[in-house]
Order: sequence, then C-alpha cells, then structure tokens
Amino acid sequence: MSKGKIIWSIIIAVVIIIQLIPSGKPDVIESNKNDLLVNNHIPDSVSHILKNACYDCHSNETIYPWYAYIAPVSWLVSRDTKIGRENLNFSEWELLSKMDKAKMLDEIVDEVESGAMPMSIYVVMHPEAKLSMSDRDMIMNWADDFGEKLFE
Amino acid sequence: MKKYVLISIALFSAILFLNFNNTDNSQPAKTPASPEFSIPDDVQQIIDNSCYGCHNSDSKNKKGKMKLKFDELGDLKTHKLVGKLAKISEDIKEDEMPPKKFLKNYPESELTAEQKDLFINWAESTAKSLSE
Repeated sequence: MSKGKIIWSIIIAVVIIIQLIPSGKPDVIESNKNDLLVNNHIPDSVSHILKNACYDCHSNETIYPWYAYIAPVSWLVSRDTKIGRENLNFSEWELLSKMDKAKMLDEIVDEVESGAMPMSIYVVMHPEAKLSMSDRDMIMNWADDFGEKLFE
Repeated sequence: MKKYVLISIALFSAILFLNFNNTDNSQPAKTPASPEFSIPDDVQQIIDNSCYGCHNSDSKNKKGKMKLKFDELGDLKTHKLVGKLAKISEDIKEDEMPPKKFLKNYPESELTAEQKDLFINWAESTAKSLSE
C-alpha cells in the first residue's frame, strides 16, 4: 500500500468511528404551550424573522439540517443549540418572570443591534437568517414595544 | 382707540407671560418612567471604580457604551431600566463583568465579595420592585 492510501484509509476509518460517538443533540419538541408566538399577538413580519433567524437555537423547534447528523459538525450544532436554548428559549417564554422578560428583550435589542446575533457561522449555512438593516430595526422596535407593553 | 391698543398689548403680554410660566412648569422632554429611581452612594462608588470607565455616554469603548450607560440609566423607561438592572445582576453573578482582560490591566477594579453582594442585591431588588 502506498503512503497516500494509508493516510486516506486512516482518515476514513476515523470519520467512520467518530460517527459512533453520540452528539447529544437537544430533542425537538414541536408543540410548546409556553411558546412566545403561541401566547402573544406578534406581527407576522416579526414572527417570520424570529422563526427563520432565531428559532433553530432559541426554541425547542430546532430544524436540524442533514449535516447536523454527521460528526464532527454534529458536535458543533449540538453545542450551539444547547447553549442557545439555555440562554433564551422562546418555547418556554411564558415561564419567565416579568423581570427576566424585560432582560431578554433588552438583550435581543443589544445582540441584534451589534450584529452578534444571528451568529455569522449560522447565517453562512442559513442564508434566510441573514437580516437586512430594516429586519434588524423591525426586531429591535418590536422588542422595545413588547417590553414597554409588559410594564403598562 | 388708544384703549383698544392698550388692552391688546396687555392681553398679549398676559398670554406671553402665561406661556413663559407654562414652559417653566412643564415636564422635561425626557420623562423617566421611574422617577423614584436613584443610585445609593455605596453602589455609585462601585460603579465609579469598576464600571463607569467603559459604561458612560462618552465612552470610547463602543460595545460597552452601546449596552449600558450608567449616566443615562435614570432616563430609561421602566422596561429598559428593569432589563439593564437584571442584566447587571446576572453579569456580576456570573463574573462576566468587569471583563477578565480588563482586570488584568486594572486589578484595582476587581470587585470584592462584599461589593458584588451589595451590587447584585441593589440591582435585583430595584428591578423586582419596578416589575411589581
């Protein structure tokens, strides 16, 4: 066997073996009675953006793409989804206190304004999650209005 | 005729005077929704020592300035103020702030355990009472 063949065999063997390691992807739950969009009147234009750009990591309704099933990418997807849900899970919105809702809405404004969210690596694989300036403004204005109404 | 002119001038002056008085008594344009909000001296001292350098409206630190400006905290509407206070409490609790990198250069800005408790308690209790 040539050197090249040996190296390729090793790479293929490693790729096959790492598929056996469980990625620990968070479960998908389709129906969530405490969901933000289920319990509140959110404009379609806003809910559309939330679904397209946020819900994969920030809800229980993650739509896993094909590569989310292949290691080592599956590990990254798994980690990002887990951390995303821990920080903010729209599927469990109604369980938050008024104070925490205010905090989340304020953070949404900061994250979207600074461009930190949606994460650039996510947008590369999900072009529909790319937010225009007017999309950003729409989300920020909504988050501010929604927060203000909570305190009326 | 003179009478009418005099009366007109008197009326005109009266209106002007009333308008002046009105503007003097009117509310400032930016009406904070939480007029009872104030920062106690011991908390203000912590802010001045460890936070204000980045989190003020003249800060050169863009990100710090965007997220939080202590000098404008009192001007915020209630929902924004509650959001900022809750975030302050969370970031201090989780040792996210002041940033570790910053503390390397300014070790004197590191918060003691007592300062953390004081800061967290103030931020959280204020946020909670404003949420009631």
